[in-house]
Amino acid sequence: MPVEIVATERLACGYREGYVLEDISFTVNAGDYVGIVGPNGSGKSTLVQALLGLVPISSGSARLFGSRCDNFSQWGRIGYLPQSLHLLNPIFPATVAETVALGLLSLKRFPRRLTRQDRETVETTLDVLGVYDIRSKLIGELSGGQQQRVLLARALVNDPELLILDEPTAALDPETRERFYHMIADVNRSRGVTVLLVTHDTGVIGQHASKMLYLDKRMLFYGGFDDFCHSPEMSSLFGEHSQHLMCHRH
Amino acid sequence: MKRLNMVIILAVAVAVVFAGCSRQEQKESAKLQVVATLFPLYDFARTIAGDRAEVTMLLPPGMEPHSFEPKPNDIVRISRAGMFIYTNRYMEPWAESLLKGMDRQRLRVVDAGQGVQYLQNVAGDEHDHDVPGNHGAEGHAGVVDPHIWLDFSNAALMVDNILAGFIAVDPANAAYYRMNAAGLKGRLAALDQRYREGLADCATRVFLHGGHYTFGYLARRYGLEYHSLSGISSESEPSAARMAEMVRQIRSSGVHYLFAEELLSPRLTDTLAAEAGVAVLKLHGAHNLGKDDVQRGVGFIDLMEQNLVNLRKGLACRSK
Amino acid sequence: MNLIEILSYGFIQRALLAGTLIAVLCSVLGVFLVLRRLSLIGDGLAHVTFGSTAIALALQLYSAASLLVSLPVVLLASLGILKLTEKARLNGDAAIGIVSAVGISIGIMLASVGGGYNVDLLSYLFGNILSISYEEVIIAAGLFCVVMVLLWLFFHDLLAISFNEELARVSGVRTNLISAVLVMLTALSVVLAMKLVGIMLISSLLILPAVSALQLARSFRACIVLAALQGGCSVVAGIFVSFLTNLPTSAMIVMINLLFFCCSCGVRRLITIRNIG
Repeated sequence: MPVEIVATERLACGYREGYVLEDISFTVNAGDYVGIVGPNGSGKSTLVQALLGLVPISSGSARLFGSRCDNFSQWGRIGYLPQSLHLLNPIFPATVAETVALGLLSLKRFPRRLTRQDRETVETTLDVLGVYDIRSKLIGELSGGQQQRVLLARALVNDPELLILDEPTAALDPETRERFYHMIADVNRSRGVTVLLVTHDTGVIGQHASKMLYLDKRMLFYGGFDDFCHSPEMSSLFGEHSQHLMCHRH
Repeated sequence: MKRLNMVIILAVAVAVVFAGCSRQEQKESAKLQVVATLFPLYDFARTIAGDRAEVTMLLPPGMEPHSFEPKPNDIVRISRAGMFIYTNRYMEPWAESLLKGMDRQRLRVVDAGQGVQYLQNVAGDEHDHDVPGNHGAEGHAGVVDPHIWLDFSNAALMVDNILAGFIAVDPANAAYYRMNAAGLKGRLAALDQRYREGLADCATRVFLHGGHYTFGYLARRYGLEYHSLSGISSESEPSAARMAEMVRQIRSSGVHYLFAEELLSPRLTDTLAAEAGVAVLKLHGAHNLGKDDVQRGVGFIDLMEQNLVNLRKGLACRSK
Repeated sequence: MNLIEILSYGFIQRALLAGTLIAVLCSVLGVFLVLRRLSLIGDGLAHVTFGSTAIALALQLYSAASLLVSLPVVLLASLGILKLTEKARLNGDAAIGIVSAVGISIGIMLASVGGGYNVDLLSYLFGNILSISYEEVIIAAGLFCVVMVLLWLFFHDLLAISFNEELARVSGVRTNLISAVLVMLTALSVVLAMKLVGIMLISSLLILPAVSALQLARSFRACIVLAALQGGCSVVAGIFVSFLTNLPTSAMIVMINLLFFCCSCGVRRLITIRNIG
């Protein structure tokens, strides 16, 4: 019996201008690696933000770990890496270690103080993600790739069961991007962390994802990776060449 | 001043509309309308006017002249008035811009301080001996003390200037105005005499004021040695060194009282007095009245009588 | 004049004590406010205090009693600034501008329609660092303790929302509550400290130590400590320099903060040049 991690039923989100998302129903089970793809403006980011309670739900329902998203409180089980990294204030004086430590707040109750053990956890995570050497640098002084790794460390430091990544590689060069995806895949495989990944990198996603969700305001496809590759509908949407590239596992 | 100008332009615009609208409904009072800026002028003018003219005061109760900003109503009042009285350009630097755009043919403007011998350099430093017995604390050379009414001979001169205005605007009642002015000058002379006698035999002649320079004219007239904490400009603030100097001054002069000015926050005075172990007495600068005093109908001479009581107490004066 | 003699004056001792406490708490709050782009909130809330003091005086409440009106009004105004930035999607500076303009116009309106006061409103509004009473030292110490304890309790939450609000929410931080705590602490400090040391000092201490520290700090913790150090030192130095130069104390403290800021910029430039070279 698979354990349900994320589930939505007829989920719709929207603003005054109309729905951005409509009629979204899907279930993600423990250990799944779901690639969320779709054209620009198809509502991919809105979907993950709705799941995290960052944008309001208009109708339908969404659950995380069995409890409704609008009063979800078990944040310690989630790691999140947002898309809007450019919104980070470049003069913000936090070090890499301080930034990563913020990820532990979700495990704390008021007053949120960090212990020595927490500092050790932070150092271990920094080490695992290969950013230990730059732990005293300011976040604003790092390259895009380094920043992204630090924020991944921040998302993973609380040892989450669900990792939600929103276009995490937008600012990265191809080589860094490759390494980054390997890291995610490793987290998924070795620790059994469920992954929701919003991406444009259809070429890379094929190497790792176990399930695909194709979104264009409505959910046009949700299912296993192999079904996705053999779906004639997806083939017509992507073009056969792209579908082949995506589905050709190395 | 830029902000004030803007306000005035706006206010005049509103006032013109306002005046146009209400002209018909409001029956023009036949009485002469007079607007005076500060309390001494207002008090003198209303005494001279008696029941033949209506005098109003521009400043709302309690306000320091430098915080003043005109309201549309004020502009309406001035534009309807036959006479506008102000102290001098040092006291009300805003008066000139306020009068811009007024019909100067209809409105007689009285500079009440005309002919007064102004104290110069009063707010100069301790080494300035141009005016013996008058020392301000800090400030700039060439600063003129605008509080002329605190010398009662100047007050009498102001009465004369105001009277001349009344006679020019309303010659029909000249005799009535002259009579009232003469009565007022008589009371001012008597007040002056009481001050002269009351302050003749005092244990100390050192008059220390923990605020901005105000009472220089009064001190000069009765031969007191006046020191204030800070200069005339109400924006100036004392330095730590000046505070300490003032404390030493209080201690070395052996006075038992430090003076503060009514209407203004006594914070600095209280601090100095506590530091030097003396008590605080209030004196009225008479620029303006508090709201309660306005309702009680207090006059300039009443304020000065109260000042004399406090001065005599503060300087430990004996009665003759 | 020697040091012992300067320190023998009670008002100097009280200025040093209360001034340093207020400076440290303003500097620390300032770091969060500057990072949240609310630097001018001190000035804005001061204008609201002017308006609310006019209400208090119209109700015949003077000095300490006027706080009964000022405190709730200014606390509400601070939340209003926050709501404007959230709901009306305004920048912090625009929201502060609105609230501050409304505050000052209420004051001016009341001063006009109320038929005047028994005292001059402006002269009662602002304190002077040299005229702090014993009771006010205790008020300053109490305020310092309240603000510091709350900052300690909410330190990581405040750090998280300053860093990134979305990430903070997903870490379980109640961002609206924490923002409200920050602006209300600021409001409390502005209302109380304004009566003690004047608004010029408050608003400059909310900005200058924070921006200097941001030039040099190598971590968030260091940034807070540097800002607090600069704030505290500037008050002590300002009082002594005011003594030596015979210049107004508050203005001197602001100038010393400016000097610190210039030095920080210079040092940062030097470091950058060395790193490049």
